[in-house]
Amino acid sequence: MLTPKPLTVVIVDDEAPARALVREYLEQHADVHVVAECTNGLEAVKAANELRPDLLILDIQMPKLDGFEVLDLIGADATGVVFTTAHDDYALRAFEVHAVDYLLKPFGPERFAESLRLARSRIAQRQPIPARELLEAHREGSAIDRILIRDRSQVHVIPVEQIDYVEAQDDYVSIRAAGRSYLKEQTLGELEGQLAAKGFVRIHRRYILNVSRLAKIELSEKDNRVAILSDKTELPISRSGYAKLRELL
Amino acid sequence: MHPILSDAKQLGLYLLGCLPIGILLIIGLGRPGAWATAAVFFLPLMLIYAFIGLSAFYLCRAFPIATEERTWRAVPAHVSAAATVGGLCVALAWGWARLLESLNIGLQPQLYLAQPWVLFAVGALLFWLATAFHYVLIASSASQQAERRSLEAGLLAREAELKALRAQLDPHFLFNSLNSISSLTARDPSAARNMCLLLADFLRDTLRLGAAQRISLQEELNIVERYLSIEQVRLGARLNILKDTSEQALGAKVPALILQPLAENAVLHGIAHLLEGGTVTIRAQTEHSMLIVWVTNPCDPDRPRHKRAGIGLSLVRQRLQSQFGLAGQLETGEERGEFTAKLSLPFDPPDGMVANAYA
Repeated sequence: MLTPKPLTVVIVDDEAPARALVREYLEQHADVHVVAECTNGLEAVKAANELRPDLLILDIQMPKLDGFEVLDLIGADATGVVFTTAHDDYALRAFEVHAVDYLLKPFGPERFAESLRLARSRIAQRQPIPARELLEAHREGSAIDRILIRDRSQVHVIPVEQIDYVEAQDDYVSIRAAGRSYLKEQTLGELEGQLAAKGFVRIHRRYILNVSRLAKIELSEKDNRVAILSDKTELPISRSGYAKLRELL
Repeated sequence: MHPILSDAKQLGLYLLGCLPIGILLIIGLGRPGAWATAAVFFLPLMLIYAFIGLSAFYLCRAFPIATEERTWRAVPAHVSAAATVGGLCVALAWGWARLLESLNIGLQPQLYLAQPWVLFAVGALLFWLATAFHYVLIASSASQQAERRSLEAGLLAREAELKALRAQLDPHFLFNSLNSISSLTARDPSAARNMCLLLADFLRDTLRLGAAQRISLQEELNIVERYLSIEQVRLGARLNILKDTSEQALGAKVPALILQPLAENAVLHGIAHLLEGGTVTIRAQTEHSMLIVWVTNPCDPDRPRHKRAGIGLSLVRQRLQSQFGLAGQLETGEERGEFTAKLSLPFDPPDGMVANAYA
């Protein structure tokens, strides 16, 4: 008789009793194998990256990185995620907008089994969690305080005020901050919306500038303008970018 | 704007009140047999005078009878104002008499001009009457306003109390606790039972204690400790508690549930965001007839700022403000990864003890 490959699961919750409960519920399901338990978001990103589990049981409220930030960082790999949370209107709205299954604490074994079944069918159909849409619904166009970047199994947390400028590079953005460049899989337009309220301006099709870094604007040949940053970096300014800058300054 | 001029009904009543004064003038100064002349002469003058009298309001407002020295300073102003109005009366009477004469309708009002000093005196004295009337008016409206203000303050205070109580029962806390109990039931039934009891006691206290009620700091700390031991089940070794309180401070009476939100804040926005956790320290002592309580906790400077953060603290501030005014303060500050909330309020000694003994 052919036994199917067991479902590999990582449990992520900062509270020991909550982890113990999920472990207990999972014991009812013979074909499930718990490969790791993580007590915070950083560990979860590392475990997701190294162990490639089929399913994450992911708490929302955690220290350092919350569940949404973990999702942001593992993004493309997020085939199977079951979110768990205590009452939090703000987070729940995002799930409901995109019909993503979640477990409300406290939950019973039947409800948990139902979530597991839904997750299994999603994984079997290779149907990923709509991570990007979920994150957008969660943030709802509101400004962000920090940008998270995964660098293999390391996570960089960059406060937005440390960013000098952002440059578009194909499907990625290159974020220049504190003398280093970080690559992140995201579109410049998306980031523009999130940074607009934080003193950033899209000065060019390919650049978003932290206005506080601007030292001066110079005219170059052919009526083009160039932004000179306080560290002498030069960035091109488009016509519409110049109009936006003038409006702000 | 003048309170009487801005209300047509009050103005009507005021003018009606001036009518008897006009009639008194006719009777007092009119000549027997020439009543018609007196009425035609004095009544219109009285009407004009009624409006002049209203100007006393501005004089009264400029010289309120709040302090004694000010009252004395007002005397020359009142004397000169009355003299001016008296002179004005004589001039008005003279003009009015001329006008009536020129109409040639058989009236002889000029006989009233023979005694200008009488007209002057009447004008000046009536102005003092108007001044007195306006002082009474201002005093009564001030007391009405004070009453309304105190009613409003009371209403605001009650609203703040209600909001504070509702915020106390954070559903997030309840659901998380229930989840912990659910987890413990299978593995450790006696720990689950213990947690049920802790939660029941905490809920009972929170619901039982009216927000305006004063309890001793010792009782308040018991509630706080119960709250923290529930959170300890959830957070485990990450949450530690340290207490350092003076005997005197423990006896002080404080508004019920004034400290608990500070402990909650320390856990939710401090310890819960730290991987290694940390210690919530509560210190309390009395200083010059004040009770000071510090709640400190380590915190992550890079933690995401939740929208709800700060609501609990601002409610504590509102409650202090409504109960103690400026004497009740909550100061908060964050420095080098440590958050401090400092609560100070007037030391309210236990019943049967005199506050001065600790001053």
